[in-house]
Amino acid sequence: MPDAIVVENLGKRFRRYHADRPTTLKEAVLRGLRRMTPVEYFWALHEVSFRIAPGRMVGVVGPNGAGKSTLLRLLGGVGRPDEGQVTVPGRIGALLDLGVGFHPDLTGRENVFINGVIAGLTRREVTRRFDSIVDFAELEDFIDQPMRTYSTGMQMRLGFSVAVHTDPDILLIDEILAVGDLAFQHKCLERIEQFRAEGCTIVLVSHDASAIKRLCDEALWLRHGRLVAYGPADVVARQYAEEMSAETRRRTPATQPIVRTSTGEELRINENRFGSLEMEIIAVRLLNPAGLPVTELNSGDPLQVEIEYTASNSIPEPIFGVTISQEDGQICYDTSTDLDGHRLPTVHGPGQITFHIERLDLIGGQYYVDVGVYEREWAYAYDYHWHVYPLIVRSTGGKKGILRPPHRWEMDGATTRGPIAERRTLR
Amino acid sequence: MTSPTALLQRKQLTYLRDLLRELVVREMKLRYKRSVLGIVWSLLNPLFQMLVFIFLSRRVLSLDIPNYPSFVFTGVLAWNWFQSTVVATTSAITANRELVRRPGFPMAILPVVTVTTNLIHFLLALPIPLVFLLAGSGRLTSAILVLPLVIALQFALILGLGYLVTTVNVTFRDTQHILAVCFMLLFYMTPVFYDASLVPSRFQIVYHLNPMFHLITAYRAILIRGDLPDFCPLLPLAVLIGVLLWAGYAVFQRASYRFVEEL
Repeated sequence: MPDAIVVENLGKRFRRYHADRPTTLKEAVLRGLRRMTPVEYFWALHEVSFRIAPGRMVGVVGPNGAGKSTLLRLLGGVGRPDEGQVTVPGRIGALLDLGVGFHPDLTGRENVFINGVIAGLTRREVTRRFDSIVDFAELEDFIDQPMRTYSTGMQMRLGFSVAVHTDPDILLIDEILAVGDLAFQHKCLERIEQFRAEGCTIVLVSHDASAIKRLCDEALWLRHGRLVAYGPADVVARQYAEEMSAETRRRTPATQPIVRTSTGEELRINENRFGSLEMEIIAVRLLNPAGLPVTELNSGDPLQVEIEYTASNSIPEPIFGVTISQEDGQICYDTSTDLDGHRLPTVHGPGQITFHIERLDLIGGQYYVDVGVYEREWAYAYDYHWHVYPLIVRSTGGKKGILRPPHRWEMDGATTRGPIAERRTLR
Repeated sequence: MTSPTALLQRKQLTYLRDLLRELVVREMKLRYKRSVLGIVWSLLNPLFQMLVFIFLSRRVLSLDIPNYPSFVFTGVLAWNWFQSTVVATTSAITANRELVRRPGFPMAILPVVTVTTNLIHFLLALPIPLVFLLAGSGRLTSAILVLPLVIALQFALILGLGYLVTTVNVTFRDTQHILAVCFMLLFYMTPVFYDASLVPSRFQIVYHLNPMFHLITAYRAILIRGDLPDFCPLLPLAVLIGVLLWAGYAVFQRASYRFVEEL
């Protein structure tokens, strides 16, 4: 069986122009056509070769700027390689940018038609599949509203739904499964599984090595536009994760004395604190909505994590992350400013950032809130506090599992109350 | 029996046809989404221009041209299609970033979409000179059958120019403003509201180099006098327009790989 994707010695070179390269003809003529030529070239991808067999699911890992998205674009035929070649014989379904191809002033319905046709369906085919597309995206009530009224999650749902309804032989997905709620993510993954069973080849880009390990057959690791490793997903993803943490350990200064945060926790380098300390987290406070410090809360309560930091030099676009984990290290929840699509400005000097979570529906037990601040491409941690800030969650009933979301039972129309009401009666 | 390649080509044609239709409808919808008068706007504009020129010709310039209303309306209509479309095509690529970045999207269709959308406006206004014609002394002859050919010529002329200007505009975003100045000059040098016979003979050569002069003359022959247009200038013009369209398309295709990076 021929390969679904063949990439041979692929190279993509980007031009970097002078910062004040003229963008208008008037300026260009006034300057005598100077500064029109690029000042330098850099390879976003270089000497990359691999083959993907049909029906495989391949994850691409690497820090931001390693060329992951460029690779995916070239696979999709957007832009032309400067070296080597890409051969993708099948029909491509792609989710490269969020909501790409959607026009904000048109309704969801109009956008579905245009996008279906662009993706290669005939009008008749779109008409036939329309209900199924809208149904999958769960947007029946909004489909005749203009696109600009949609949240990013809704746009992503519609984009994914259109892409999976175009019978792709190859599906290219860039990071965007991170958007949208958990239930929909789950649905997407199920659909992807189904595609894979039907022989569809899938290429998924992520900088989250654990997701790649979980989902993919093979992984492809890029660093500075070059292929570092291509092999079984668990092996490559583990190597990649190890390199990232090794980078953090290497940069952690060894002779830092034991310090205490302003809230009194002891921070010991390489035990519960890691990072280069170019930027430091100096205090972390767990607060209830009234702004009072808490160490214990009820399952389903809101929580604020206030992070005070200081940067002695200016740090461009740092990433803050918050993880809630159990004592044995099992991660219950993990997010970051990058994952949520926020690009922070350059920071210098002291500052504060607060993370709000509306409901913490965890089962009762002992947890830790781990916080970190990372280099803008996730290359290493500036400062990461691990199992420093304890949090006790109280809940009634339920000993197994992780989650304790609001719920109820129904039997013959009669309703018995779940934990929310239960707690109310307990108070 | 159809060969596999023929089948593939037919599929590709169906795809392009569907795509063109969807994108033209999209552009029409976007243009009239928030305007109450909608499509009427595209009729009002040339009508008002016509009224101004009628006033000028009667009260200021005293031009003596028979059937002046339909004379000037035909000119204004053809000219507006030309000018507004070439100007609109400049942003065909830069304004459709989200489409250009779609995998496998045939970018060359975008200028065609703009020209087709404006062709529809042109066709919608076309009955008006016909009404003038029938209400006046004119007569409708079989010469009208040549009209689609003249329209096709103008379509190809606009598209050829469109490919060039939209390519330039990706690098130089002020192309539109520069074009506006050029078009203003060109407008007065094209006999839209006056007759070319008034032009001194030593300047006639300049007029004959202007493709819009020949096209407008052909429209007037068909729509006002009911005559066949003079094919003598139209045939070489058709060849030139063919070359322009081919060259414009070639330049566009060569540059199109760069578009994704520069947007």
